[in-house]
Amino acid sequence: MMKQASEETYLALQRQLFFEARLLSAGDYDAWINLLADDIHYSMDMPQRRFIEERTNERAPKRTPIFDDDMTALKMRIGRYKTGFVWAENPINAIRHIISNVEVFESELEGEFTVYSVIEVHRSRLDSERKRLTAGRKDRWRLSETGYKLVERTAILDDGVVLDSNLNFFF
Amino acid sequence: MSDLDELIDFKTGRQKRVIYSDPDIYEQELEKIFARSWLFIAHECQIKEPGDFIRTFMGEDEVLVVRQNDGSVKAFLNTCTHRGNRLCKADHGNKKTFVCNYHGWGFGIDGALNGVPLEKEAYYNKLDKDKFGMIEVAQLKSYKGLIFATFDEDAPSLDEYLGDMKWYLDSWLDAMPEGTELIGTAMKVELPVNWKLPVENVSGDGYHLGWAHAGAMTVTTSMSVGGLEVGNTGTDNDEAVSVAGLNGHTVLAALDGQSGYGFYPDPTMAVDYLNANRKTVVDRLGEFRGKKLWGSQLNFTVFPNLQMLPGLNWFRIYHPKGPGKFEMWTWAMVDKEMSDELKQMILDNVSRTFGPAGLFDNDDGDNLQAITEQSRGWRTRKMDVYTNMALGGEHSRDEMPGVVSDGLVCEQNQRYVYRRWLEMMNADSWADVPRYNNLEEAQATEAK
Repeated sequence: MMKQASEETYLALQRQLFFEARLLSAGDYDAWINLLADDIHYSMDMPQRRFIEERTNERAPKRTPIFDDDMTALKMRIGRYKTGFVWAENPINAIRHIISNVEVFESELEGEFTVYSVIEVHRSRLDSERKRLTAGRKDRWRLSETGYKLVERTAILDDGVVLDSNLNFFF
Repeated sequence: MSDLDELIDFKTGRQKRVIYSDPDIYEQELEKIFARSWLFIAHECQIKEPGDFIRTFMGEDEVLVVRQNDGSVKAFLNTCTHRGNRLCKADHGNKKTFVCNYHGWGFGIDGALNGVPLEKEAYYNKLDKDKFGMIEVAQLKSYKGLIFATFDEDAPSLDEYLGDMKWYLDSWLDAMPEGTELIGTAMKVELPVNWKLPVENVSGDGYHLGWAHAGAMTVTTSMSVGGLEVGNTGTDNDEAVSVAGLNGHTVLAALDGQSGYGFYPDPTMAVDYLNANRKTVVDRLGEFRGKKLWGSQLNFTVFPNLQMLPGLNWFRIYHPKGPGKFEMWTWAMVDKEMSDELKQMILDNVSRTFGPAGLFDNDDGDNLQAITEQSRGWRTRKMDVYTNMALGGEHSRDEMPGVVSDGLVCEQNQRYVYRRWLEMMNADSWADVPRYNNLEEAQATEAK
């Protein structure tokens, strides 16, 4: 049984998730990167449609990542946005990161917390393109001298087929 | 001249935009292209054990590809022969029986109808179960790990269909002794785009790299790829070629033996692998393919909907879903001999460059979507679009089969893709589809 974090920690991390969401929606990646630990592992997998009785099958193929990024890879993604050559993002598209179902637990490591949340991303692009993507997230946040830092994020997209022609954003 | 002939002008490189939006043309494509062509359905490595299956599509028809008890492979329409329900909803797995969720009819992995609930009480034991087995594809054949099938029993053999494209395919599929495998599962994306647009793009459009992908190239490029430059300021016409006229199939090839890994920020591990195995590959494929093709940036297009980029190591099919929509399935494909560490690096890079959040792939969607939409208007659908770059540059080269033009920035390959499209759309049967694997044959069979 995982131990619930204190109310103070819960509130602090919920604030952090909401703050992070606002930065991501604004595309303020220079500020966002400051919320990440240097040893960040940021990942999201494609879900597979498999029969329930086969989910533990040993022949299951290797996981298929949409994101599987360390700090270098994340900086590369952000670097692409900063070139000014990502034509799909000019004019700027409207995007909202909605965070819900936040739960915070103590982890085995002192000063690190396991945080579950649900994210719903709304995008409004082009003339009438309205997209809504949802994912579950499991995070590990570390309390450092400069506040809480994201050490690990494992997200799982709900769609077996990605229903948007780009994912020029972060979950 | 039929109506179709007015849609494509192969000689001057012109297409009517209506081919990207018209529902009637799309219906004809399903019948004359997708129902007749050899289509990729699975890699041998995806279905290793008896009962292993993959669910995929041939055109808009849903298909189950199943490994048999004797090691052979069969492919069936994924539909119950009783009332038409989908038989299997999982993407892949292992089954002894496919049981329909509607009334419980059960089919063996060989497609035979084995079980019918209440067979005695409701059918009086008079149902001829032999007549209600799952419906098989007309032909199925494997080429060096890739399983293809066609609904057309009169289609030429897969060997003949692939023609001299095999010579190029072998520079990936048969370079190393153990061959290739797909790793991970399909990364699937649905795009509001006509299916021909990504095919022509990857078949020959080196022109868009330096512009559409300028942002991605800026942050990933570690070595020259065909001389392409951010901002479209450079190309190399000496060390890169466009190859077409291969029975409708096409190749883009840099000829430097390593640029396939040019869009890896740190390609060291991959380049070490190339250096360590170069001699093996030269022994197997000869000097030209071993040194000039293996490891280079290559774009392979197997008409109509299979594309592979060795080096970047992605493997992709497009499933049409109507005139303005398709599903794109991308895998990482690797040599089996590669280390687990290298395989993981490649899987990550495929995902990072050409997956659903891929740095390159995320540049293409809006452009191709807009072209589809700009082919729908009352006025715009009457307009033309052009693939008229490097006209008259076609020539032969002794070292390689096919029709060759210089450089990756060249629209020869797109012209040949549309030529093949027109040939198949105009053909009443396979007997009417010309066959050509070099410049002489291509010119001799050109429609008058």
